[in-house]
Amino acid sequence: MLKTKLCELLDIEHPILQGGMAWVADAHLAAAVSNAGGLGIIAAMNANGAQLRQQIHLAKEMTNKPFGVNVMLMSPYVEEAAAVICEEKIPVVTTGAGNPTRFMAAWKEAGCKVIPVVPSAALAKMVERRGAAAVIAEGGESGGHIGELNTMALVPQVCDAVSIPVIAAGGIADGRGLAAALMLGACGVQMGTRFIVADECTAHDNFKEKIIAAKDIDTIVTGKRLGHPCRALKNDFSRKFAEMEYDMSVSNEELEQYGVGALRRAVVDGDLQGGSFLCGECAGLVKERMSCRQIIEDVVNGAQRALGGASQWL
Amino acid sequence: MKEKIVDIIAAYKGVDAAEIATDKPFNEIGLDSLDVAELVMQIEDACGVEIDITPELNCIDKLVEYIESK
Repeated sequence: MLKTKLCELLDIEHPILQGGMAWVADAHLAAAVSNAGGLGIIAAMNANGAQLRQQIHLAKEMTNKPFGVNVMLMSPYVEEAAAVICEEKIPVVTTGAGNPTRFMAAWKEAGCKVIPVVPSAALAKMVERRGAAAVIAEGGESGGHIGELNTMALVPQVCDAVSIPVIAAGGIADGRGLAAALMLGACGVQMGTRFIVADECTAHDNFKEKIIAAKDIDTIVTGKRLGHPCRALKNDFSRKFAEMEYDMSVSNEELEQYGVGALRRAVVDGDLQGGSFLCGECAGLVKERMSCRQIIEDVVNGAQRALGGASQWL
Repeated sequence: MKEKIVDIIAAYKGVDAAEIATDKPFNEIGLDSLDVAELVMQIEDACGVEIDITPELNCIDKLVEYIESK
């Protein structure tokens, strides 16, 4: 049985978190992951307080296991989301797209374990000083908004910088990824892309099929010019975005405008041409649709095999 | 205090302290948010204070004022 200190910290069976993917990580997916022994996470994304509370209540109806909420710190409703988390006594809060320190005291007081996503060792150190229970060191292989460092280099440097548990993310989709993360010093992983194709995930079938069909080279990073690089599957939308990005006759405002609504078009409408299918480099590793329970079992069993086989090198 | 902070930032950037503009926003003196996080950790260690970095603390002068008020 693969157990790490993360299991004890979060009261979960397996050291696997599900990423807080906007439009994808709803109550259905979060509850299914938690029921399967991982930690499911609801993405607050740009939802207002009432919408987030509705998702939390729905998840509570579907699971009695702990689950978390991911707060997107650039959301216009971030204050409302932060307050709802305290009121609903959510056991775990993960954060992304910024520095969460201004909310941490209130969340801690409400009994929430705060686990920020960090792109650097210094930010990991900062949130540790402000009382983070753990950090998610997310490398640039991941989908959505990404930092500069990759998982292989980031995770051990974050592990060296802090004494709280480190969760590795970015590029992890199978047991080998989990085993490697543990070897880098992490005590668990967060996976996003692999869970998009889960049976319980409500994302459009076109999105799932696009991931299943993806190869290693099928993602692209756009948005560097706007200061927030973002990884997505290649399609008409992302190729056009990349072209516009290098066209200096296109203003930043026009570029921003081009991206509006593209995420929803991908996840909800399955718009293969006009949607932005945020997805990690590991999409090429995802070859089969299965339930959250099967995904977690597959990853844990694969990690145990990889770790068990590693002694042959000694 | 100001001199100490300017020295830390100058050493971080590898430039002479005289080249650091203390009234310009961090992004205009070549420091992104991750640089600022790194520097805040170094300044906390050097000055023994906790710095709650907010969007308003966007230049050295404001940072110094904040630290001196603590």
